[in-house]
Amino acid sequence: MESERIEEYLEAIYKRQGRETPVSTSSLAADLRVSQPAVTDMLRTLENKGLIDYKSRRGAALTSTGEKMALAVIRRHRLWERFLTDVLGMKWDKVHAEACRLEHATSPDMEKGLSGILSGIDTCPHGHSIPDEKGNIKPEKTTLLSEFRPPQKVRILAIRNEDPRVLRGIEKLGLRPGVVVSVLKKNRDGSLDIELQNEKITLDNATSSVLTAEPVPVISPPIDEAEIALGELPPGEFAVIKVCGGGRGSLGRCLSLGFTPGSIIKMVENYHRGPVLVRVHDTEVAIGRQLAEKISVVRKAAS
Amino acid sequence: MSESTKTREITVALAGAPNVGKSTIFNLLTGLSQHVGNWPGKTVEHKTGVFRQGELTMNIIDLPGTYSLTANSVEEQIARDYLVHENPDVVVAVLNAASLERNLYLVAELIELAPRLVIALNMLDVAEQQGMKIDSEALSRTLNIPVVPIVARANRGLRELVTQVEQECNTAAGLRNVKHIEYGSEITDVIDHVDRLLEDGITARYPKHWTAMKLLEGDEQINKLIKARMPAERWPALDSYLREHESAAVTIATLRYEWVERMMAVAQQKRRVGQVSLTEKIDRAATHPVLGIFMLIAILGAMYWLVFSIGVPVQQFLDVNLIERTRDFIYTLSYMPQWLQGFLADGVLSGAGTVLTFIPILFFFFAAWAFLEDTGYTSRAAFVTDRFMHALGLHGKSCLPLVLGFGCNVPAIFGTRIIDSPRARLLTILLTPLVPCTGRMAVIAIIAAAFFGSAAVLISIGMIILSLLILAIVGLILNRFVIRGKSSALIMELPLYHVPDLKLIGMVTWQNILAFIKRAGTVILAVSILVWLLSVIPNGNINNSILSDIGRWLEPLGRLMGLNWQMMVALLSSFVAKENTIATLGVMLSGSSGDFTQQLKAILTPAAAVAFLVVQVLFIPCVATIAAIRQETGGWKWPALVLVFQMVLAFAVAIPVYQVLRLFPGLFFSFCTVLPS
Repeated sequence: MESERIEEYLEAIYKRQGRETPVSTSSLAADLRVSQPAVTDMLRTLENKGLIDYKSRRGAALTSTGEKMALAVIRRHRLWERFLTDVLGMKWDKVHAEACRLEHATSPDMEKGLSGILSGIDTCPHGHSIPDEKGNIKPEKTTLLSEFRPPQKVRILAIRNEDPRVLRGIEKLGLRPGVVVSVLKKNRDGSLDIELQNEKITLDNATSSVLTAEPVPVISPPIDEAEIALGELPPGEFAVIKVCGGGRGSLGRCLSLGFTPGSIIKMVENYHRGPVLVRVHDTEVAIGRQLAEKISVVRKAAS
Repeated sequence: MSESTKTREITVALAGAPNVGKSTIFNLLTGLSQHVGNWPGKTVEHKTGVFRQGELTMNIIDLPGTYSLTANSVEEQIARDYLVHENPDVVVAVLNAASLERNLYLVAELIELAPRLVIALNMLDVAEQQGMKIDSEALSRTLNIPVVPIVARANRGLRELVTQVEQECNTAAGLRNVKHIEYGSEITDVIDHVDRLLEDGITARYPKHWTAMKLLEGDEQINKLIKARMPAERWPALDSYLREHESAAVTIATLRYEWVERMMAVAQQKRRVGQVSLTEKIDRAATHPVLGIFMLIAILGAMYWLVFSIGVPVQQFLDVNLIERTRDFIYTLSYMPQWLQGFLADGVLSGAGTVLTFIPILFFFFAAWAFLEDTGYTSRAAFVTDRFMHALGLHGKSCLPLVLGFGCNVPAIFGTRIIDSPRARLLTILLTPLVPCTGRMAVIAIIAAAFFGSAAVLISIGMIILSLLILAIVGLILNRFVIRGKSSALIMELPLYHVPDLKLIGMVTWQNILAFIKRAGTVILAVSILVWLLSVIPNGNINNSILSDIGRWLEPLGRLMGLNWQMMVALLSSFVAKENTIATLGVMLSGSSGDFTQQLKAILTPAAAVAFLVVQVLFIPCVATIAAIRQETGGWKWPALVLVFQMVLAFAVAIPVYQVLRLFPGLFFSFCTVLPS
């Protein structure tokens, strides 16, 4: 029983650490639905076992052993969730509670079996990464949908709440990890207008703050696919950088000044034989003619 | 709070790209407590200062401005070595909100090396003028790093910054779950592979994983370090793996910019399209190949006008009223032994004292320089002159220091610090003494006026053209044959124009003047006393002193140019300060009859006078310039080379000039007399 409690705590601390460091007893008490004194007791126990660093009134942080253990539990939890939805066909709002029970009763062999069935899948149904068997986890992007400035096209990554009611509501709207939506407008009351498959929906702030998302770059189609040297781009025109040449030294300089493949560049000034002036990543940069000949670009319509 | 935590001393490093207002913040926090020196063995400014508030003492260090932490330049190497070796308690990343995208790239790198990071988001007002709106709170939330909005120019937000830094110190290092940038699994595997090829401890002080990444990024310094530390038999495996994955450098930088873009999506409201900013409007003229040159000439013209209409009269006033009068005063003190009078009046005052009277002139040059730097104009000047400078293996950025050299070579040599390529910088330093400074031009004007009347102006202009011609030829030769290495390509940011920060300009000017006074008090004083000693030993009369012996010994050489020993002594004395030539001639000729012009005509033929002007304009630079070269090149090698080279050059040009003019005296004199007087 105790080992189960320990695992629950480690899991809870791990999840909280993404947002606050060190994790306070009050947030843990809220997450685990137990009293604060109970949390304090348990944190003492965990510290004695060397799983966390704990300072009263400040809070707790996982040690590396503690973090390893937490990741192992999280791995089993998320594998089970996947198994329950994908193999057994359960609804995604039900699987969290089931997985919470199963994760503590999973033998290493069972875990191997699960990951064998689920090979190639690296996230749980709610979009969170599954740690690998060595305890490595792909870092998750943590920008919330509510934080994006309209207008912006974004891809939903994960849902940060296991509450079945919230999950059902989100499912009803058609939102799930991987879906691309356009953020249209932020309203006074904090709600967000978005467009999903040509349909406009309004999300309240509570919903949009449990979804994480990443921007989807809008790339307008290039007008001419042929690669030309940057030096040949006429003033006022835009281009996408393809290859950045130059020796080791100037390459490093170019890269740190933002001349990376895929970056959009605007030619500001380009007079015969002199250096050229371009705008890249919101700054004007002057580059010598020789270097400009070594950067190849593809012309692009103004955006 | 316990007793021990009451007084706290913490170290805070300011990091940031150039043109983000880092120096302004540093000045506001440290005021006059700052100490400016050089980083050990480097010619990059090392600035430290102290900020005290209540029980808190903050030792602040201003790291050199860098765009990244890959060792593309000395500055970048210094900045990251400082972070790794000195472990500052908190690193404050100063970002320019108006070019946040570029600046966040540095943050992506700092996150990996700085355990505690606070972001000072500066110039929010400028960003707003550009039509950008930055949400600093959203940025802070998404990065999980405190972000303090400030407007350093208006001294807004600094108190909050200090509070935030102090608070950050209370959190245990590394506890904050800072959002590291997400390198995709593909590149992570490659980095991990390199990591495994490195044995433990070999990267000491640098984090191992970070080292692996820098090796892949093609960082030469790290590459050399690992090669030196690694057992020779294991290096080829690593080296070939790195070569195989050469494209990783581009991938890593691209991923960092993708990360930056994600942060931007959160922090920035889209920029209003179609708005032409003030910077763009000014730049239409300032960076135009023709208009830009005119603008540059106009700005420099205004600068010289200021210097000559205010600085020069003040210098002359000081020279006459302070130096001359004090000298006369010293000679009236009859209770003082004669040798002491001579030492004070002719050794200290005429030498180092005269040099000090140049401070008003230097003040204008240093201030004008700081002004142009701070407004953002310097990089435009570099842009429009790049095409001309390139031929000499120089950089666009070499132009301004060289132009500054017309005023005084000393600030010009310090001005070369803006050139980031070490090779172009060295070339510029070596060429600067060939630019005729006001001191040289003063001597030329006096002697030309004495000899050539109305042709004096033409002769003076001729001298300027001659030295610039020689400068170009020497530049071509140095570039092609002497200093090895390829000329580096120009790549620089053109910052937005902004209203200059007068306090900052004042501070920079003050520090430069202070450094000049220090030099005048040491090296220049020593040399002027030495020259004085040579002129009075053994019996107090310059005409049979050691100096005159040296002059007589040099006379055979002088005769090739039509110069007698007195002219040679006058030439030698210009080493202390260029205008000393006239003073020395004055002293030596004081025994003969007539006024100065007649005395000169008695010992010089017109052809010899021209030769003297040539040798004077090309002769070794003054001791202040030599001291500056030594300081900026970090040793005696280059100043010694400059001394020898210019000595040889001066004679090598002046001798043929004299010989040719002597052969065709008629031609030369008809030229002089044809001109209306």
